[in-house]
Amino acid sequence: MLLRLPCLLALMVGAMPVAATELRLVAPGLAYCDELSARFARLPAARQEVARDLAEEGSQLCHDGHVRTGVAKLRRALRAAQPRQN
Amino acid sequence: MPHRRQQHPGPLWRLLSSAGFRFATLFAALFLAAGLGFAGVLWWGTAGTLERQTDSAIRADAQALAERWREAGTDAVIEAIGERLALDADGQALYLLLDPRGQRLAGNLVSLPPGAGEGPAESWHHLTLEHEDEAPGEARLYLLELPGGATLAVGREVSEKQRLRALLTEGLAWAAGAALLFAVLGAWLMRRALERRLTPAVATAALIAGGDLSPRVPLSAHDDEFDRLGASMNTMLDRIAHLMDGVRGVSDAIAHDLRTPIARARNGLEEALLSEDEDPAALRGAIERGIADLDNVTRVFQAVLRIAEVEAGARRAAFAPLDLALLLADAAELYGASAEARGQTLHTGWTAPLNLTGDRDLLLQVVANLLDNAVKFTPPGGNITLSAARDHDQLIIRVADEGPGLTLADRERVGERFFRADQARTTPGSGLGLSLVRAVVQLHGGVLWFENGDGPPDFPGLVVLFRLPAAAAPAV
Amino acid sequence: MRILLVEDDAEVGRFVKKGLQEAGHTVEHAANGRDGLFMAAGESFDLLVLDRMLPGGVDGVRLVETLRGQGNHTPVLFLSALGGVDERVKGLKAGGDDYLVKPFAFAELLARVEALGRRPAVDAPATRLKVADLELDLLSRTVTRAGRKIDIQPREFRLLEHLMRHAGQVVTRTMLLEKVWDYHFDPQTNVIDVHVSRLRQKLDKGQEKPLIHTVRNAGYMIRAEP
Repeated sequence: MLLRLPCLLALMVGAMPVAATELRLVAPGLAYCDELSARFARLPAARQEVARDLAEEGSQLCHDGHVRTGVAKLRRALRAAQPRQN
Repeated sequence: MPHRRQQHPGPLWRLLSSAGFRFATLFAALFLAAGLGFAGVLWWGTAGTLERQTDSAIRADAQALAERWREAGTDAVIEAIGERLALDADGQALYLLLDPRGQRLAGNLVSLPPGAGEGPAESWHHLTLEHEDEAPGEARLYLLELPGGATLAVGREVSEKQRLRALLTEGLAWAAGAALLFAVLGAWLMRRALERRLTPAVATAALIAGGDLSPRVPLSAHDDEFDRLGASMNTMLDRIAHLMDGVRGVSDAIAHDLRTPIARARNGLEEALLSEDEDPAALRGAIERGIADLDNVTRVFQAVLRIAEVEAGARRAAFAPLDLALLLADAAELYGASAEARGQTLHTGWTAPLNLTGDRDLLLQVVANLLDNAVKFTPPGGNITLSAARDHDQLIIRVADEGPGLTLADRERVGERFFRADQARTTPGSGLGLSLVRAVVQLHGGVLWFENGDGPPDFPGLVVLFRLPAAAAPAV
Repeated sequence: MRILLVEDDAEVGRFVKKGLQEAGHTVEHAANGRDGLFMAAGESFDLLVLDRMLPGGVDGVRLVETLRGQGNHTPVLFLSALGGVDERVKGLKAGGDDYLVKPFAFAELLARVEALGRRPAVDAPATRLKVADLELDLLSRTVTRAGRKIDIQPREFRLLEHLMRHAGQVVTRTMLLEKVWDYHFDPQTNVIDVHVSRLRQKLDKGQEKPLIHTVRNAGYMIRAEP
């Protein structure tokens, strides 16, 4: 009787849909960092201090070899610099 | 003892084999099953909704991109994808645009899922995303074939669902652990409570098995199932004790009261054998007296056995609906002649029908014994009355004589086997008649009692009354 | 009569066999149920006297059930040490015609044996019974002796009818109680005697020859000759 509990749990976890195939993401490189920096520079709100600091920090990180963190920072800068839509 | 189950002495085995533990485990399992069911509903409700929301967002995004492609062409879509990716600070968006030759134009996916392009124009995929430095994540991907052969894939990583699942699993594991703990604790407590409540009954049963029939199960004030069990055990023990008394009564009777007639028969036969008298008539007379004595022994013996049989309740099998009025008429007719022969008058009075359920032969025996006594003790020329009446759901039968009556002290003892009042010592009889009457009346669920007659205080006459439950429906 | 006695107790068997032979019957004795069944099925008897409990795997009740199953309707009298009412009912249900509890008086056994062996034929019911100058009319329910009508109560009529149906045979008090009053009980005193003597007075009033005779240690008999 005691065995039922773990069995039920295992059944529950096991019954969850499992992904059938695996996919890989494109590894972001320095080029992508530059693309994001360029995109940021084109934005009208790019002169905002907070966003600009973020973008510079991200770009710096990319050049120091921390591409993933750099890309994340750049994206946050881009988002912060987006014109308010609503 | 071969029939006793092998005992496993360990405390764990004792816990596992206890009924209380099994009950508690059953309840814990039920509780857990209910909890799991609830969690399941919760799971599908939350995670499912999340999935549907994600799916509709992906579809909207993909359609927006397709629209853009139709209006502004491939380059605009590439730009839009780039923009969307650039703004995706959480890193959850997945995009891929392939030209008709399968060349990647934009997006962050390396390739399409295997076997994707062969399906219908649009399809859903569920897949695992590999990360370089993190655990793989799950993703939903929507594939859309654009006119002209290009393929657009839009997706989202659905890590919320993963987090939710982990959270729920963890919660369930804790709940299961707690339930298990409570089950064991509850089992232990329940086992202890059961054992404590059952101990008196078990101890009493052990004492009785040891040979002492007197102990009874002590009852608590709860009046619960255990007390009812104890009470029925006590009732059973009372009944057994009563039956044992009956058996003892029979053996006492055989030991004491059959000795006299047996001794008399033996003495008579021995005397005839030893006597010098060669007169065949005298010898014949002695043998006949011996046979008569033995017949008397047989009668007493049968009466004792019959009383035991009646007291054991074994004769209830012969119960049938009957009209007591007919039976009383038969008895009055049988014994009326005897009374008449002694110059007595037998008065009768009842209103037919008097229906009840009972044993015809035993009831006649009762009335016969009472009438026989009445005829025996009433002086010649006296009156005897046999009457019966219905009193609601009871029948009251009354036999009155004009004999010496019974003193209060004798009335107490009259149901005992072989008891005979002092005045009765000189009349023939075994002293068993009234014990049989009492036993039969009790067998029929009735009560027997005595009253004084209307005569003078020193010779009041005796009224024997008994009450029997009447049958509701008329006897067939 | 040709009687088969199945009784495992040698002494009781010898006693019963001797008594029945002295009364003028032919008696075959089997000591166990199997032999008894074999003999009862193979030969023709007027009456079977069976012990209720028998060795040999076939007890009295089984024996009777088997015989009745084969269409054998020889009257059966059970002898038994089992006196309980249930036992009696069981024996009669199985197809026994009478049941006598041990210990018994031989006179009682003989009376019952003769009553069973000479039962009146069922298919030819008599409407008039006659013993000497005593006549009993079953249709008009009247009794006459030497042409004189005798005033008689219903129960006395049944008592007389039973005696006359077994004219020349001993009828015991217990048999009268069972057959005329239809009760099985111990009457303590001899109530039957009172009834018989009352009936006797009515019949013999003004007559010189008594018809109902008391048989010492046994019961009563109605017959023409003293």
